[in-house]
Amino acid sequence: MGIQHSSSREKDFVEVLGLREEIEKIQSTIADFETGKKLNIAIVAEPLKGKTTLSDKIERINLNRAAKITFSKIVQNKNEIFLPDDTKKIVILDNCHFLYMRKPGGFDIFYEFLDMISFQNRIFITTWNIYSWKFLNEAFGLGKYFPVQIFLPAFEKENLRLFILNRYEKDEIKFAKDEESEEETFFYIMKYPLELALLGKKIFILVPKINISYLKNRLLKKQKIEAAEDQVFEKLYLESKGNPGIALRIWELGLDYPVMKPKNIGQFSYEVDLEYEEAFTLSLILSYQGLTKSEITEIMGSMSSVDKILYQLLSQELILKDENDSYRVRPEALSSVTTYMEKLRLVW
Amino acid sequence: MVDGNTSREQLLEIFKSVDTQTLITMALIFLIAYVLGRVITIILLKLSEKLSHTGRIKVEVVIPIIKFVIYLIAFYFIFREIFKIFGPEIFLLAGLLGAAIGFGLKDLFSDIVGGLVITFEKPYQIGDKISIGNYFGEVTDIGLRATKLFTPDANVVTSPNSLIFKETVASANYGVSEMMVVIDLYIAGESHVETAMRILWEAVVSSKYVYISRERPVILLHKALPFYTRLRAKAYVNDLRDQFKFESDVHTKAWIEFQKKGIRAPQLHILNIPLIEEKYESDATTWRNMG
Repeated sequence: MGIQHSSSREKDFVEVLGLREEIEKIQSTIADFETGKKLNIAIVAEPLKGKTTLSDKIERINLNRAAKITFSKIVQNKNEIFLPDDTKKIVILDNCHFLYMRKPGGFDIFYEFLDMISFQNRIFITTWNIYSWKFLNEAFGLGKYFPVQIFLPAFEKENLRLFILNRYEKDEIKFAKDEESEEETFFYIMKYPLELALLGKKIFILVPKINISYLKNRLLKKQKIEAAEDQVFEKLYLESKGNPGIALRIWELGLDYPVMKPKNIGQFSYEVDLEYEEAFTLSLILSYQGLTKSEITEIMGSMSSVDKILYQLLSQELILKDENDSYRVRPEALSSVTTYMEKLRLVW
Repeated sequence: MVDGNTSREQLLEIFKSVDTQTLITMALIFLIAYVLGRVITIILLKLSEKLSHTGRIKVEVVIPIIKFVIYLIAFYFIFREIFKIFGPEIFLLAGLLGAAIGFGLKDLFSDIVGGLVITFEKPYQIGDKISIGNYFGEVTDIGLRATKLFTPDANVVTSPNSLIFKETVASANYGVSEMMVVIDLYIAGESHVETAMRILWEAVVSSKYVYISRERPVILLHKALPFYTRLRAKAYVNDLRDQFKFESDVHTKAWIEFQKKGIRAPQLHILNIPLIEEKYESDATTWRNMG
């Protein structure tokens, strides 16, 4: 799942993403391959962090020599990963966490894949969900097949601002102060989100913050910086922990087009309380990023009541069903769900 | 120098001088300590259940220490009351107390000493799965006199603390929430072992109860016996409370896949003899589960 964006207005989007170092590393590994040193690459990240966007960019940079396959559901037929002889030498495989099914007999495609990337004279650039990656690394030593591993970093606050505003015309979005704080103050109180894996909960603590933009405006007499805009992106950054997909979702939920106020940036904390089987199902959905009901049933086995489990997860508003009938963790619930899963050690 | 008769008379006089108020005060101190210990235990146990597996074990470790500190403070106040009454004659009382311990209360005294040893030396802790004497189960409480175990058959076993001086204690997890489980599967001798091993591996690593890390790897072993083959998986269960669910999950999933691949169970009726050797080996397996 990549981050969608309008291509008409983008400058060089990856510049915005701040992934210059990662791209340089990938390009230098490709250059090494051309001189005879083959090192496969794994791009690993949490859901919605931009793996697909980065792999798209790599494909665009190497347009004439790269081929890309994107997996969008669990691969059941090995022909889906079969590459004809005339395939280009740089192969980009997106969403490789769909190459296994977590059940006995569900790893045959995965073994074929490992065989393929080990012995073919091609360089494989792959993207992985971080939780699947860690599971496969512990269970099958996956990391040994990928000498170059790139873990995508979180966005900086400024990159997040550019990432969001890049979708709109200049001054299209109007930032407004909250009604109750029309008067700008020297400092303000904000809720700081804190994820406690020990409790498996996300909590908020009140933190006094100095209003930097107000101070700059008042004391330095510099160019006027919109305090409201600053507060919006500060809250967005804290709530999303620099994850662009989550930030975008929270932005969309809070936007009263064309006006955005700091108070509209929601702060989401879910009281997750699940039976073990429900929690395990949720960990599967988190690890695959999206699973259909039939895929979940196949993994869980016939003894599990998948309907009941999915109903529980839907009613607690932890997951949603997308247009492809896949169940996904709600972006705004992602940090609560991850914290809960870490508490149970179902993901690590 | 005081002779025997005079001392006895003196003590009797002192006992007679003990008023009801003092006795009530001493009983109250003990009652408060007991109730406080119980309340703190219940609160901390409830809190620990809300925490992560690791957090749960950490909180449970401090419970017996807190209880012993409470009892220590209570005994201090009780002895202070006693000293007020007896004064220097306390040493005469100590002699009587020594005799009492020597005859009737020695077991109780050794249980209390055992409790102190368990609290501070920690051969096991609350939350551990231990084997002591003939019992195996999860430690749910370490009291002043006895340790409570919750067995896999849902029995609550109360074991005197002094048992640690006489019996060997095996703790299966020793302060962590994951625990090694040994799972044996038996297949017919002519089965394709490589396929069976692969299925068993996949059944273990894909189980919802497994815990895998670099320090806690999954190990598979294979042993060919005259008429059948034993496959053994050594793996860690994420939460020791799910030990049997883990075993069952792996067995179920592995056998479903075995049947798809034509791997059969051994046909033991052809032997027509009891499997004495394997019986002993199975007992040893149970012990390995705990260590």
